[in-house]
Amino acid sequence: MKESRLVLVQYATAVAAVALVSVHLIMQGVIYPYTTAISFDNILSVYRNGFYAIFLEALLVVVLVHGFNGVRIILNEFRQTKPWAMWVDAATVFAIIVTVAYGTRTVILAVFGGAPA
Amino acid sequence: MNEVRLIVQRFDPFEDVEPRMLEYAVPKWEGMTVLDALLYARDYLDHSIALRFSCRQASCGSCGMKINGRPRLACYTQVAELGGKKVVAQPMDNFAIIKDLVTDMESFFEKHRELLPYLSRADPRELDKPSAEYIMKPEELEKILQFTYCIKCGLCTSSCPTVATDSKFPGPQALAQAYRYIADPRNEGGEETLRLLDDTHGVWRCHFAGSCSFVCPKGVDPALGIQLLKRHVMSGRAPRKKGEGAKVWATSLDTPSQK
Repeated sequence: MKESRLVLVQYATAVAAVALVSVHLIMQGVIYPYTTAISFDNILSVYRNGFYAIFLEALLVVVLVHGFNGVRIILNEFRQTKPWAMWVDAATVFAIIVTVAYGTRTVILAVFGGAPA
Repeated sequence: MNEVRLIVQRFDPFEDVEPRMLEYAVPKWEGMTVLDALLYARDYLDHSIALRFSCRQASCGSCGMKINGRPRLACYTQVAELGGKKVVAQPMDNFAIIKDLVTDMESFFEKHRELLPYLSRADPRELDKPSAEYIMKPEELEKILQFTYCIKCGLCTSSCPTVATDSKFPGPQALAQAYRYIADPRNEGGEETLRLLDDTHGVWRCHFAGSCSFVCPKGVDPALGIQLLKRHVMSGRAPRKKGEGAKVWATSLDTPSQK
């Protein structure tokens, strides 16, 4: 992918992350009192709300893509060889896939399994 | 005594292991520039000081160096504006040292050349034998005018934190000049430059620190040029629309002298 497209992804995920994290913090700190928000039952009920589960999945993807792409940019500034850039790019894609998959697993398990709400 | 303490970083890569700072007491006079002080030291105190200079009027860009910790032109910096007591002269950062204050500018000019800093036309015959005058509107000139003031002194590149870490990054001078030619309505090329810039180590590595604009002795704002350039790299197109170059060409035939 061209660097300009990756930068566009970085900008888009940055804007989306600000919006999603803001909503998330408002939900967790303002709408519900913080101690209630982090209780096991509340978290499970939040996951089982279809809309909020999709919201959390989107938050997960946006933050991880933005974070790992940022790390890729930093690592590419450290060294300027082609093999290094290739490894960094491959590692970034791998890291995004693995962490998104693991986070998605958590969301899916919370929605369809786990302890009763 | 009316003297200035001139401290010069000395380093000969063929003889020295690391740089050393040597101090010279130089008589001070009104209007004295750092270049004057250095030339006095070289002519009367130590003939071995190596420095590069030419025009003495901030036009050639030869005497760029770090003066009291900031990249400046030695000929354009008065001793009085530095407090008048102590002047520390060091070679520019981000450049290899040839000797003392003389730095190797080869990669700097090479990066400039790589981004094709010249006008091109779809019809190559126009480059050698233009059949009419190419006209720019005042507002078109306004967009690029400040960037044409660049004297290629290297001070912006010397102050750039990205150049310090990424040896493949073209640097603020090359990027600002790339913008200068891409934004020029007389240029029908530019797409190749945009392609070169859309790279892992290209225009996107500028983090907009702005130090390049801060140190430029000619009032150029390379950081602005780079941000404007990013817009064109994102679209992959030079700013003019298709056929507009020809339009400029057509209007050039309609000059008052030719009516």
